[in-house]
Amino acid sequence: MNNKISNENRQSPLHTFLSLILPGLGQMLAKQWQRGLTILIGVGLMGSLSIWTIGQRARYPNFALSFKIFAISVLEMGALLIFLMSLNYLLNKYIIKDKTAQAFSGYGVGLLYFILIFLLSGPVLELAGTVAELKTVYLTTTIFSAGALAAFWIWQAFDAGKIGALKAGEAMPSLGFAVLVLCLLIFSLGYQITEIDLNKAISEYTDTQIILTRLTWPWRSAFAFEQDVLEVAQKIQAPCPAGSVGPDANLPMDGETWISLDNTCGELTTRDLQGKVTFGTEITIFGGGFTPGQKVEIWWRNPIGNPFKPRGVGETDIIMDERGEFETKLYIPEMTVIATAVGDQIHTILVREKSEERFTGALSDEMKLALKGMLETIMLGLMATFFGIILAFPLSFLAARNLMASIVQTLAKMVGGVIGLVVGVGLTGVTMTQIIKLFGGLDKAPIPILMIAILLLFGISWLFMSLGGRLFEYLSKLLGKNGDTILSVIGMTLIGVAPGYLLGLGFSRGIRGIPLKAELAAETEMTFAIGGAILFGILGFYYALRQGGSRNINVGMIAYTTTRTIMNIIRSIEPLIWGLVAVIWIGPGPFAGFIALTLHTVAALGKLYSESIESIDPGPIEALQATGANRLQTIVFAVVPQILPPFISFTIYRWDINVRMSTVIGLVGGGGIGFILIQWIRLFQYDNAGLAVWLIAITVATLDYISSNIRKRFV
Amino acid sequence: MLIIENLTMIYPDGTVALRDVSFEVADGEFLGIIGLSGSGKSTLLRCINRLIEPTEGKIIWNGKDITKLNQQDLLATRREIGMIFQHFNLVKRSSVLTNVLSGRLGYTPSSWSLINRFSRADIERAHKALERMGIPEKASNRADELSGGQQQRVGIARALMQEPKIILADEPVASLDPVLAHSILGSLEKLNQEDGITVMCSLHFLDLVQRYSTRVIGLRDGRVVFQGTKDDVKKITDERFKEIYGEDAKRLGGE
Repeated sequence: MNNKISNENRQSPLHTFLSLILPGLGQMLAKQWQRGLTILIGVGLMGSLSIWTIGQRARYPNFALSFKIFAISVLEMGALLIFLMSLNYLLNKYIIKDKTAQAFSGYGVGLLYFILIFLLSGPVLELAGTVAELKTVYLTTTIFSAGALAAFWIWQAFDAGKIGALKAGEAMPSLGFAVLVLCLLIFSLGYQITEIDLNKAISEYTDTQIILTRLTWPWRSAFAFEQDVLEVAQKIQAPCPAGSVGPDANLPMDGETWISLDNTCGELTTRDLQGKVTFGTEITIFGGGFTPGQKVEIWWRNPIGNPFKPRGVGETDIIMDERGEFETKLYIPEMTVIATAVGDQIHTILVREKSEERFTGALSDEMKLALKGMLETIMLGLMATFFGIILAFPLSFLAARNLMASIVQTLAKMVGGVIGLVVGVGLTGVTMTQIIKLFGGLDKAPIPILMIAILLLFGISWLFMSLGGRLFEYLSKLLGKNGDTILSVIGMTLIGVAPGYLLGLGFSRGIRGIPLKAELAAETEMTFAIGGAILFGILGFYYALRQGGSRNINVGMIAYTTTRTIMNIIRSIEPLIWGLVAVIWIGPGPFAGFIALTLHTVAALGKLYSESIESIDPGPIEALQATGANRLQTIVFAVVPQILPPFISFTIYRWDINVRMSTVIGLVGGGGIGFILIQWIRLFQYDNAGLAVWLIAITVATLDYISSNIRKRFV
Repeated sequence: MLIIENLTMIYPDGTVALRDVSFEVADGEFLGIIGLSGSGKSTLLRCINRLIEPTEGKIIWNGKDITKLNQQDLLATRREIGMIFQHFNLVKRSSVLTNVLSGRLGYTPSSWSLINRFSRADIERAHKALERMGIPEKASNRADELSGGQQQRVGIARALMQEPKIILADEPVASLDPVLAHSILGSLEKLNQEDGITVMCSLHFLDLVQRYSTRVIGLRDGRVVFQGTKDDVKKITDERFKEIYGEDAKRLGGE
C-alpha cells in the first residue's frame, strides 16, 4: 500500500480532507454515490463491530472505558500510519530512486508499523487507565481492529482524493485493498465471536481422554458378562458401650473360606464440624481359603443393611498371599449414627472375591435397548416417508405452475364453485355429526370415522363445488346479458360476509386485552363481527361489480400460490422444532417424532415433486389435450409416466433423510434411538451413549448405501 | 367444412401471432400451409382445436363456432380433430400401445382411464391402427426405443384412434430426413384419399407442398399472403416467393 501512495501523482486535497472527516464523503462529492455509501457503511460496520467485540472480549461492564481505549487506539494507529506513509512517500520521492528498493522500503515501513504499534499499545492502554490484566485482553483485539480500521480510513481518504482528481473518461481505481482489509477484519472478528480456541482443543484432550475412549469404542458394554462373587462375613459392634464384648469372632476353617477379627467391638471414626478426623478403633481383619494371588475387596455393611466401601481408613483392596490368606488393618469407618437407633449397633464386614468376568455371548440390556431404539427409528423414518408420499403426491400437482397456470374460470363460475364448496363442507360436517352419533362417539372407532370423514370431505365438497359452478354458469345464461355479473355480485357479497363475520369476531377477541364486563364483551363482539361482515361484504360486492361476471379468474394460480406458501412455511421450520410442538401436543414418544417428520416430509417432498412436474416435456400434455382427453386423463397418461422416475428417486432420497432425522428427533422427545441417547448422555453413561452413536452411524451408512443403489436403478 | 373468419391471436406479451386470418378448408382437402418459422403456422393450427385461445375471430367447424364452445363441448369437438406434431409428442417412457390408446381417451370415461383400462374394442382398434402404419410388431416397445419415423407413425396412429374428420399436422416431417418425410406424408396422403380425412399440414419445403397438397396458403408475419392450388404453387415466381418468405429467403435447390 505504501507503493500505491508513492506512485500517486494526482490528489484532490478537498476530497481527501472531506473523506478524512467523514468516510465516503469525498467519494460522494465526486458523484460516486455507491462507492461513498459503501465505504461509509463499511466503516460504520467495522467500527461498531470492533467496539462490540472489544467490549465482548473484555467482559468489562464499563462501555465508556472500552470506547475510550478504542478511540485512543484508532487515533494512535491512524497517526502512526499517516506518519509512516508520509515518511515512505518522501523517501521514495527524494532519496530512494531504484524501483526494487522502493518496494522494499514499503515493506520495511509496513513492518515498522506493526512493531511500533506493538510497542506503543502498552502505553496507550495505561493512558486509558486500565489495570494490567485488562491489557492483555484488549491487546490483540485492539491492535487488529483499530489498525485495520485506521488503515481503511486512510485508504478511503486517498481514494477520495484520487477520484476527485480523475478526469472525465479515466478508469476508476480498484477497490481491491478495501475489500482485503474488510475481509481480514471480518475474519478476525468472526474468529473471536465464534470463540475458536485451538489451544483448548489440545490442552483439554488429556482430561477427557477416558470419556472419549469410552465414547469411541463402547463395544464392551454391548455384551453381557458373568461374574461369580464369593462373599464371607464377620459381625462387629460399634460403638462399643462399656461392658460390651461384641459378637463372636469366626474361627479359622480348613477347606473353607473364612474371615475373622482380632476385636469385634470398637469405636467409629468421627469428624468434627471443622472437618478434623478422629480415627476410631483399629481392627485387624484376617482370613483364609481364598484363591492365592487373587484380589479381594473389603466392604462394610452398616446396621440398617447398606453396604459401602470404606474410604480413608485403610487399604480395602487386598491381594491374597500364596496360601490364599491375608491380614490387614483398618480403622472402623465413619458413618452417621441414626439418632433413633436403640440397642447394640451390629455392623458386618464383608470380604468379596470376584472371579474374572466371563463372556457369555449374550447382548447386554443396554445393547438390546439401543437396538430396539434403532428399529423404532428406522420404522419412524419409514412411516413418515410413507405418509409423506401419500399427502405430498396430490399436493404437488396443485403446486406445479405448468399444470395450474392454465386453469381459468369466469368469476361467476368461480363464485358458484366457492359457494358450492362451502355448502359441501357444511354438509360433510352435518353428516359426520350424524355418523359419529351412529358409531356412539368419536373415541369408539376413531380410524374408520376419520376415513369416512376424509372420503366424505373430498367427495361431497368436490361434488358441490362442480355443481355450484355449473349451476351459476347455467343461471347466468338464463338471466341473460348481465346475468353473470348479477350472480357474481350476490355471490361475492355472501363470500365476503362469512369470513368478515369471523374475522371481526376474532379481532374483537384478540384486542380485548383489557377485561370487559361480560355483557359489554358480548356486545363488543357482536359489533365487531357485524362490522367485519358488512365491510367484507361491501368489498366482495365492489370487487364483483368492478370485475364483471365474465371476467376470467386464474383459479389455478390462486391454488398454486396458496399451496406453495403453506408448504414453504412448513418446510422452513426444522423437524426438530416441529418435534417440540408435537411433543406438547401428544406427549413424548415415537408418534410425536412421526408427526414432526411427516409434516416436514410433506412440505419438502411436495416441493421436490412439484418441481419435477414443472420440468417435464410439455409435448405429451399438448398431444393428449388435442385428443379430447380431460384434465385428469391428461395427468394420468401424460404427466404421471414422466414424473415417475424422479418421484421414486426423490422419495428414496427423502427416506434416507428421514432415517437420519429420526435419529435426532428423539433428542426433543420424539422417540427412537435419539431419545435413549440423550438420556445416556445426561446420565454420563458414555459407553452406552457411544453404543447408540455407533448404531446410528452404522444404520445411516448402510441405508445411504442401499438407497443410493436403489436410486441408481431408477435414474 | 372449416371456415376461419378474421382470426387474430395476440400473446399476453403483446406478440401478434395472427392478424385477421380468413380462409376456408373444404372436406377432403389436403391443405398445405407454408411460411417461415414464426410466421404463425403453429399458432394457427393450435387455435383450431383451441390448444391456444384465439383473441378474436371465429372458427366454424361443421356449423359450430369452436371459439364459443364450453369445456364439455370443446372436449367432444377435439375428438373429431386429430393432431400430429413436429416432435411427435409421445410419452417416451410408456409403451407404443399405451401411446396409441391414449388417442382414445376422449371416448373413455375418466374413472376407467384412472386405472389405465381400455375396452377390448379399443385395444383391437389400436393394434389395427399400428398395423395400418406398418409397425404392428412395435406395440409393446417403449416409445423412445423407436426411430424418428416410427415415432411419427405412432403419432399418426394415436390421431387415428380419435376417428378424426380432420388432421392438423404441425410440421410433421421437419425433424425427419427427406426419405422418411416422403413416407410420412405418403401415409397422410393415403388417409386423406382413402378415408377422406381432411388434412391441414404446415410444411417448410416447397417441393413437398407441390407434391402432396391439393391447396396451399402462405403465411407471413401472421397474415395470409398467398392462397392457391397445387398448380399455382408450381407457377410461383422468385418474386412471389420472396413475398411469402420475406426478402432474405432463398430457394433451396431441389428441396
